Amino acid sequence: MSGFWQMVQNRSPDLLERLLEHLKLAGIATLIAIAVGVPMGVLALRSKPARSALLGLTSVLQTVPSLALLTFLLPFFGIGATPAIIALVLYALLPIVRNTYTGLTGTPPAMLEMADALGLTRFQRLLMIESRFAAPMIMAGVRTAATVSIGIATLSAFVGAGGLGAFINRGLSLNNMDLVLLGAVPAGLLALYADWVLGVLENGLKPGHKNGPLMAQGFGAVVVGVFAFGWLYINAKSYSPQIVEKKGGRIVVGSKNFTEQFILAEIIAQALEAKTDLNVVRKLNLAGTAVCHQALLSGDIDLYPEYTGTALLSVLKVPAPPNGEDAWDEAKKGYQEQYNLDWITPFGFANTYALAVRSQDAERHGWKSITDLQPDAAHLKAGFTAEFRERDDGYPGLAKKYGFKFGKAVDMEPSLMYQAIKESQVDVISAFSTDGRIAAYDLALLEDNDHFFPPYDAGIVIRQQTLTAHPEVAEVLADLSGKLDEAKMQQLNLAVDRDKRRPKDVAKAFLEEIGLR
Amino acid sequence: MAEIASSALIRFEDVGKSYDGGQSFAVRHVSFQIAKGETLVLLGSSGSGKSTLLKMINGLIAPSHGAVTVRDRSGQQLQSVQMRRSIGYVSQGIALFPFMRVWENVALPLRLAGLPIEERKRKATEALRLVELPEGVEDRLPSELSGGQQQRVGVARALVTGTDILLMDEPFGALDAITRESLQAEVARLKEKLGVTIVFVTHDLFEALALADRIVVMHEGNMEQIGTADEMLHQPATDFVRELFEKPAKLLKVGGRA
Repeated sequence: MSGFWQMVQNRSPDLLERLLEHLKLAGIATLIAIAVGVPMGVLALRSKPARSALLGLTSVLQTVPSLALLTFLLPFFGIGATPAIIALVLYALLPIVRNTYTGLTGTPPAMLEMADALGLTRFQRLLMIESRFAAPMIMAGVRTAATVSIGIATLSAFVGAGGLGAFINRGLSLNNMDLVLLGAVPAGLLALYADWVLGVLENGLKPGHKNGPLMAQGFGAVVVGVFAFGWLYINAKSYSPQIVEKKGGRIVVGSKNFTEQFILAEIIAQALEAKTDLNVVRKLNLAGTAVCHQALLSGDIDLYPEYTGTALLSVLKVPAPPNGEDAWDEAKKGYQEQYNLDWITPFGFANTYALAVRSQDAERHGWKSITDLQPDAAHLKAGFTAEFRERDDGYPGLAKKYGFKFGKAVDMEPSLMYQAIKESQVDVISAFSTDGRIAAYDLALLEDNDHFFPPYDAGIVIRQQTLTAHPEVAEVLADLSGKLDEAKMQQLNLAVDRDKRRPKDVAKAFLEEIGLR
Repeated sequence: MAEIASSALIRFEDVGKSYDGGQSFAVRHVSFQIAKGETLVLLGSSGSGKSTLLKMINGLIAPSHGAVTVRDRSGQQLQSVQMRRSIGYVSQGIALFPFMRVWENVALPLRLAGLPIEERKRKATEALRLVELPEGVEDRLPSELSGGQQQRVGVARALVTGTDILLMDEPFGALDAITRESLQAEVARLKEKLGVTIVFVTHDLFEALALADRIVVMHEGNMEQIGTADEMLHQPATDFVRELFEKPAKLLKVGGRA
């Protein structure tokens, strides 16, 4: 826990920024949901078909898993705050629409009759009387919507919208619990705080409320808010490095959501910061290849590290040649022709898929290559990433090529997969050849004797426009070519995964080592 | 009857109200007229149709057949907001809006009429003085007043526009006897002072006797008799009316109540 507290203090500038992002996401989404949901509730009151349609639709939206919804929105809205806010609005609608409708039906009949007798028009009655009786109920809906939004906004980080979820995602990817807590604890506190403040407002709208206790509560809420925020702000200022805004343009570096990508993105970003006048923006931790590719096409990011095999099989959807150089040329050509994107800076290592087993098992059974597993395969339990389970260059293709399947295969989150094989929960995993955890957890990679796995040489995918607008970028990044190999990359990954060093610091040390800083 | 007809402000002509497509009747074939400045009491037990008749005057209920005419307007015209705004209404449930201050409740009809706020507040205060509420109630919430005070506010709201018709639907039914009597006296006083036409619904015979110029006795949707209290006492038109008035007749004979 002291590690967590230390982290809160050290990373308070980050925390403040993420907290504000988070508040902005949840706040804007809630406001939009109110603006859309309250009229929907009124419509539901006025028309029976509209009622069934609206209440049904908003209920169905609740059942769509948040990640699925975000992924679905990506092609239309790119990455960043827009798809996140749209998804949050869709979730926040139900409590607001339902409570507005229920609240508006709750006006006592005697009050409605009096309103009519006094000569209020229908609209005046709605505006001056019914809405006022419904107000506490609507506010309760807003309260639910706001707290739910704050919770779900943690997932916005998957599409690069930032917020406190960025810590959680990165913590999960790096298997760093303190980092997960750095996102989860403030998000939980923020939800509680919003619930408190909006609860005070809700009670204030109830007829016949007592002002005294409410004022005290409201005052308490303000004091707590000011103190917490003030503390964070002062801390953030004292830890915050002086950021000098540069004169050059802006370049956005993206990355997928695993350690190696963070390190490569940091290496790229820091090299650009050191050698160009560009303001470098990091949009790291994007949820997978599809998200990064979309972001690149829509211009939300300018470049990100990618692997040739992935590009050919997942993006261009063509078979990959077995030779690394051929694969590079083909990916480059395909990207140039189809997407107006380019491949630069071959880092000098390949991060191919590989099957990994515990070293002691490998010794005991004499497993050296994938073929050696065949006799025992029926008794082995495999833990694969979801991507590996589905991709043609993953398990389905592997099973076909080698002609056997494992007794059981389960989907696992990457960092849990390593934990699982270490603790003998599974016997075989889909590893990446540069993963530092292979050495750290004493695992052995099996030789791909039938050459099933395509080459996965690492490089940088970049927008043509960016290269044209900032020719210095290609020059600087060319210096990174061939500066890494598998062993070096494993070592950098290990420094983050096992030694809990920050990708930022590992990248910095590496750049200093090769003399690029 | 001729002079009443010529100055009739409100006319019921063969009015009926049925529900469920004629399966059940709230009111059948009722005809009578109310003169300008008159206090007419609709007397009957619950379910007799007296409230239904009252609510036809300000269009809250539309008759199934027959015609209700108010100031020479009838039918759909009675449901217009302009018409409703010109008729004061005090309901059994008081129905002050709990989130508005007392003066805001009273001034609501003035707000609908588009008066500026200063004038609204001044007129609302005047109306509150008219129903003898003490200074200082203006800025309170309805929940901070007693039941009797709340109903005085309700009366002030109904009178604030200077209406010539005041409809009162069992306004004092929920109040204790002492408060009720003082409010009855208040209504009598206001009527003297303002010359307003009052249609008053009650199930309380003594309240009817205390307030009415004329009484309409309703029973199971039928009008049993219309007339002064004297006429009902001495020339009851039906057995129902005679039995109803037997008790006060005895009281009057022993001189208990004059």
